[in-house]
Amino acid sequence: MNLTTFYLAFAGLVLAPLLGGLVAGVDRVVTARLQSRMGPPLLQPFYDAGKLWSKVIPPASHWQGLFVRWALVASLASDVLLAAGADVLMCFFVQAASACFVAMGAFCGNSPYSKIGAQRELFQLLCYEPVFLVAILAMCKAAGGFDAFAIMAAKGPLLYKLPLLIPGLLFVVLVKLRKSPFDISASHHMHQEVVRGVYTDYAGRDFALLEIAHWADVTVVLWICSFLWATGPLQMVAAGLAFLFAALLIDNISARLTWRYMVKVVAPVSLFLATANLLWLYLE
Amino acid sequence: MSEAYIGLLVLWPLAAGLTCLVLTSPGARSALVLSTGIALAVGGLAMAVNAPFAAPSALLGSETALHIAEGAAFVLPAYFLIRGLLAKHWLVIVFALGQLALAAYGAAAMPHAALVQNAAVCDGLSLALVLVVCFAGSFIAIFALPYMRRHEEHLRLRVSKQPGFFMILLAFLGFMNGLALSNDIRVFAAFYEATTLCSFLLIGHDKTEIATKNALRALWMNCLGGMFLHGGILLIQQGHGLVDIHEIVDPAVWAGASMLPMALLALAGCVKAAQMPFQSWLLGAMVAPTPVSALLHSSTMVKVGVFLCLRLGPVLMGSTTGRVLALAGAFTFFAASALALGQSNAKKILAYSTIANLGLIIACAGLGTPVALAAGVVLLVIHAATKALLFLCVGDMEQVVGSRDLEDLRGAVQKAPTTALAAAAGALGMILPPLGMLMGKWAAIEASLNNPALLVLMALGSALAVVCWVRFSGTLLAGRSASPSAAPSSILTSGPILGLLFGAIGLGMAAPWINALLLPGTSALAGGWGLIPSLFVTAMLGWIIGMKVLARQSSVRLATPYIGGLPSREPGTFVGALGKNWTLSEGNEYAEELFGEPRLTRVAGVLAGALLLALVGGAII
Repeated sequence: MNLTTFYLAFAGLVLAPLLGGLVAGVDRVVTARLQSRMGPPLLQPFYDAGKLWSKVIPPASHWQGLFVRWALVASLASDVLLAAGADVLMCFFVQAASACFVAMGAFCGNSPYSKIGAQRELFQLLCYEPVFLVAILAMCKAAGGFDAFAIMAAKGPLLYKLPLLIPGLLFVVLVKLRKSPFDISASHHMHQEVVRGVYTDYAGRDFALLEIAHWADVTVVLWICSFLWATGPLQMVAAGLAFLFAALLIDNISARLTWRYMVKVVAPVSLFLATANLLWLYLE
Repeated sequence: MSEAYIGLLVLWPLAAGLTCLVLTSPGARSALVLSTGIALAVGGLAMAVNAPFAAPSALLGSETALHIAEGAAFVLPAYFLIRGLLAKHWLVIVFALGQLALAAYGAAAMPHAALVQNAAVCDGLSLALVLVVCFAGSFIAIFALPYMRRHEEHLRLRVSKQPGFFMILLAFLGFMNGLALSNDIRVFAAFYEATTLCSFLLIGHDKTEIATKNALRALWMNCLGGMFLHGGILLIQQGHGLVDIHEIVDPAVWAGASMLPMALLALAGCVKAAQMPFQSWLLGAMVAPTPVSALLHSSTMVKVGVFLCLRLGPVLMGSTTGRVLALAGAFTFFAASALALGQSNAKKILAYSTIANLGLIIACAGLGTPVALAAGVVLLVIHAATKALLFLCVGDMEQVVGSRDLEDLRGAVQKAPTTALAAAAGALGMILPPLGMLMGKWAAIEASLNNPALLVLMALGSALAVVCWVRFSGTLLAGRSASPSAAPSSILTSGPILGLLFGAIGLGMAAPWINALLLPGTSALAGGWGLIPSLFVTAMLGWIIGMKVLARQSSVRLATPYIGGLPSREPGTFVGALGKNWTLSEGNEYAEELFGEPRLTRVAGVLAGALLLALVGGAII
């Protein structure tokens, strides 16, 4: 590990959650404009997190603070791994660990909504993880290496070789950003049938940390998606934004699906497409 | 010098077991089991210091040893035949007769092969199995002491059956060590049969109807496996005249030769490792007392199967047989993970997860590259520690709570805090980085980059396992944190559990170095393995931060449950329609329409059976 890697890792640690927060701000502005509203300022998510941080609320379970912090550590670690150009597969597993901790905390809560949310969160994990993993493996295969740097150094945009990954990655982005039609475990609007699902029992300072962990996750997911057009930093940002806007558009024009539909139809179809793309890499 | 260690590892457990039969007082038994544990630990460590070595051994390779092994090839199937006849179990009878016929053919038609030069060989793979047996096996045997006492109190037995039980348990460990170290394939086969015998006796130990039935099922399947093994050995002797295992697994021997013997040996490994469609014997094994299922699942019986397959790895590399075996293993990983997800019976979850992880190891064996084989051995070692831990925890919780159903174990952390927390940690250890199982899985996935079918099956199996284990540990932790009023457990119960917990985590930390030991010439921290130390530092940081918060939060008053603003008269209820009081209850979603056992077993069994047929068929053509 040389000094450059260290600087990159540190930049990832600090910048990735900030980027994720900005993405959340963009999300709210764009969504408002799509609905003919003005929307909040771009930095509203940061103000919200600050407000949450100032609140001291009794926790719903003794374990939740622990799992929130573990989730935050895992999310930030996945950012750092990616920024330092480490193994993308390992970054994926570390990021998945964060999702596991969020579900664990919800399991330990005491509200029925939190528990339903935890169950649904697990089925979401079940659906997007294989798709995401196969997509990452296809990228690794196409680029000829498992390191983030190796993938980013691949000649030409990977998209030409991996067009069928797009539906799968979009599915992953929708799930990870908790967007309709896949905001199944943490319904985005609080007046819906599971309240806030997996998030119901998190409050105050714990919830602020969880928001930051979520921002870090969003950065990782969009970053990995942007590998499809990794010919330069600007192109990568553009690719990430393209995924983000597609997700926002779908969020605004679709209603939530049931988890059964997700497990039985959406996940198999997107996995099938990603697998088909993976297979044809071997025929070249 | 090595002879002394082999004696310690193989003969001591046998002798201690026999002494258990004579000295029936509980105190003497505890002393014997504890001393065997210490002897095995010492022997295993001494072996680790001396490894790798290849030495002549009178114990495993003399004329006498060979005669005993050849005798065992008749005596054991004959005993199985008698048991089959007594129980009128046709499958046992047929396969035991088949084994006898093969043994007779071998004795009559085969030239008497010369003695093996180096009868005891200890390389990385053997050492891994020996250490697993010595440590995980000893912990389980110690845990069995208080467990069996409570078990017999529960069954209200007048005459204790513990002397016989511990005799078999300890002998089992000795046979396993012999199997790991012997380099003569005939001696290996004798130990293989001996493990079949031990598992049959242990599964049927309780003598209930279901125990007998499941023991006979395990017997017929493993007799079938024994037939494959003996068939393979006879073909090797006929075609190549070899009995030295390390000469047999030299790829040069097999250039251009028929791979049928290899396929048969791999098939024997698959049966022993309870790969689909032979998974039912291992599922049946859980009717036995918990130490038996822990022993069968983690450190002994099933590890024989993967040990055999990993041993064949160098020959399988790049061959069609290897590719089909890898596919079969990966398919079992996927299918058994899916089956585990649909289960609420905690022991069945463990059993299916064992089958799945063995599938992953067999996939590594089928790939056969040095990197894949090293990943397989890492998985073998860490799986043994983690799964032994989980079995002991579930067994202990079962005795405390009175049920092994996950729904009844909900919030077990309040009744048995140490055990439930250890179980939750073990469950997370199966799936989370930087712990060992995940690292092994990661290495296996990267090793199979040239085989897309394996990649997809592993991705699916991995996601299924994550969901299964998060749900498992989340259910155990549901509710309030540990209450100090829970009854303390015996040191003989918590000691092995904590020992295995530290072992599982410590082995995870050591995984890069274990991997490097198996791959001479590579640096331990090359590639992704180099991330492990920093990930462990990060994890420890998270641990410290988390524990500080836990300490702070565990004394505060909790919020009242959010139930959508409905009024509530007492905790856990709400006032609903017509002013009626409704009690809140919770349960996990097992999605039986997707992961229901009967249908999934049928479909997956047919597909896996087809793959195993292809394994043999492909080798014949």
